[in-house]
Amino acid sequence: MGNKLGRRRQVVDEKYTRPQGLYQHKDVDHKKLKKLILDSKLAPCFPGDESECGYDLEECPICFLYYPSLNRSRCCMKGICTECFLQMKTPNSTRPTQCPFCKTSNYAVEYRGVKTKEEKGLEQVEEQRVIEAKIRMRQQELLDEEDRIRKIPDISSSSTTLAQGEVGYNTVAETSFTSAVEGEEIVSLEEPCSSIRPSLRPRQNRDDEFDLDLEDIMVMEAIWLSIQEKGRIRNGDSAPPEHYVTGDQLVSQALPLPAESSSSPSGGLACAIAALAERQQMGGESSGGNYNANTATFNMPPSYSRFSDSREQAMDSYGPSGGSIEDLHDSQLAMTGVGGEWGLDHESEVAELGSSYGSCDVTEDGVVAMPPQHEIQGGFQANNGGAIVPDSFEEQMMLAMAVSLAEAQARTSVPRVAWQ
Amino acid sequence: MTSSSAPSRKALSKIACNRLQKELVEWQVNPPSGFKHKVTDNLQRWVIEVNGAPGTLYANETYQLQVDFPEHYPMEAPQVIFLPPAPLHPHIYSNGHICLDILYDSWSPAMTVSSVCISILSMLSSSPVKQRPADNDRYVKNCKNGRSPKETRWWFHDDKV
Repeated sequence: MGNKLGRRRQVVDEKYTRPQGLYQHKDVDHKKLKKLILDSKLAPCFPGDESECGYDLEECPICFLYYPSLNRSRCCMKGICTECFLQMKTPNSTRPTQCPFCKTSNYAVEYRGVKTKEEKGLEQVEEQRVIEAKIRMRQQELLDEEDRIRKIPDISSSSTTLAQGEVGYNTVAETSFTSAVEGEEIVSLEEPCSSIRPSLRPRQNRDDEFDLDLEDIMVMEAIWLSIQEKGRIRNGDSAPPEHYVTGDQLVSQALPLPAESSSSPSGGLACAIAALAERQQMGGESSGGNYNANTATFNMPPSYSRFSDSREQAMDSYGPSGGSIEDLHDSQLAMTGVGGEWGLDHESEVAELGSSYGSCDVTEDGVVAMPPQHEIQGGFQANNGGAIVPDSFEEQMMLAMAVSLAEAQARTSVPRVAWQ
Repeated sequence: MTSSSAPSRKALSKIACNRLQKELVEWQVNPPSGFKHKVTDNLQRWVIEVNGAPGTLYANETYQLQVDFPEHYPMEAPQVIFLPPAPLHPHIYSNGHICLDILYDSWSPAMTVSSVCISILSMLSSSPVKQRPADNDRYVKNCKNGRSPKETRWWFHDDKV
């Protein structure tokens, strides 16, 4: 009698019902502790292992030792071993104990035995997201770094390596993700995971897009530049470099530009690509600058809008075709949505480490978003007229062809495909 | 001057030692960006180089953090100070003491050296102006004889910087 459904008195070796001496506990009610452990309300005090060594063990995030099972905090489900938990609950404290992980007051734990498959799956998803976020941060850092040293001409090759690295990573991410989402119970278990699920796919897709986008952006920027230059020649006024700064300006710039007589958008693009190739072969002017400037920003939401805008302008000036311009608007919207998701990711991390971490994320964003924009200006001007690297020219031609192919495909199928 | 201000030190407990070793391994595998741990054989005192984040007031500047671990780390917070010269910041005193809640009242054993470092860099990065705290001189005078910042009763009032 008195036993709740599903909560059996567990068979625990006598010696695991008392602390193993991880800490010098004061004020521990050993009798109560023993009862809680026998009633399966606290995890047994197994001696922690130094390493995971093959077994299915969990690491306590406080003592960094490995255990067959951990207690979970009621507020945020984080694991903690019984001995660390006893340290957290100091009976003499004046204020209620806060959860060491999420700072919720009145910290309490429950014990559910060894983790279920679903729980492990959820955790994997969570870890995956953290890793992804870290990788994105790392990439931005690398790109910033590249931006800073971009006077060295051979940078485009190193950015290619980066993209390849990510492809390899993504295949891993995909597999672990699918394994994690199997089983319907995950959804019913917790509220947040329903929001995790839909957001994961698009994000991974977006990651896949990244490396393509980078290249697309490069080509587009080149095209846009060439258009800009043509317009300049035609109109006789020299467009100041400030036009690169924001999407808003681009849009307003795009409208007054006269449309050329080409009949289809892909024709227009092909035209632009040809113009680009021609220009490169003859003068080989600003290609170095384009590459580097673009690698600096491809990872940021602002550059997406820049990208779309410049493409939009290409359409505008080379023969407007309503359908594809709308497609472009679509893609721009989708990308803005992705930006929002980023914010959400941040929040989930913030929650773990408290307020100070939050401000950190904000500044990371700020840091990343601001300076390259300025530097790009310098980059364009400094590199205009610089020598062209033959490698990147070939590469650029191939990319240009790929883009025009994708363009052609896009016109026959679903709009979004164009950006895959 | 400041480097002699370590708290009267008891050797690390076994659990502290174990955790720090693991933190160090993790740091070596995956260091927080902008930081460099200066290699020593002293597990109880880490000296960490901090690079000001690009695009902030402290870009291209390098400072040194000194992290001393108490016997009962992580149940007790580490003592974290800037070695001279400390960066000019509204929450950093000229003796290197840092007014940051997670180093004192808001410390949680779930935090790590790495997460503390990130918080400090965040604090630096969000600073709008390079200046000392208003009460710098008074505070530093009171801290003579190498008092630990952990003995200070901090008053955390500004959640913006």
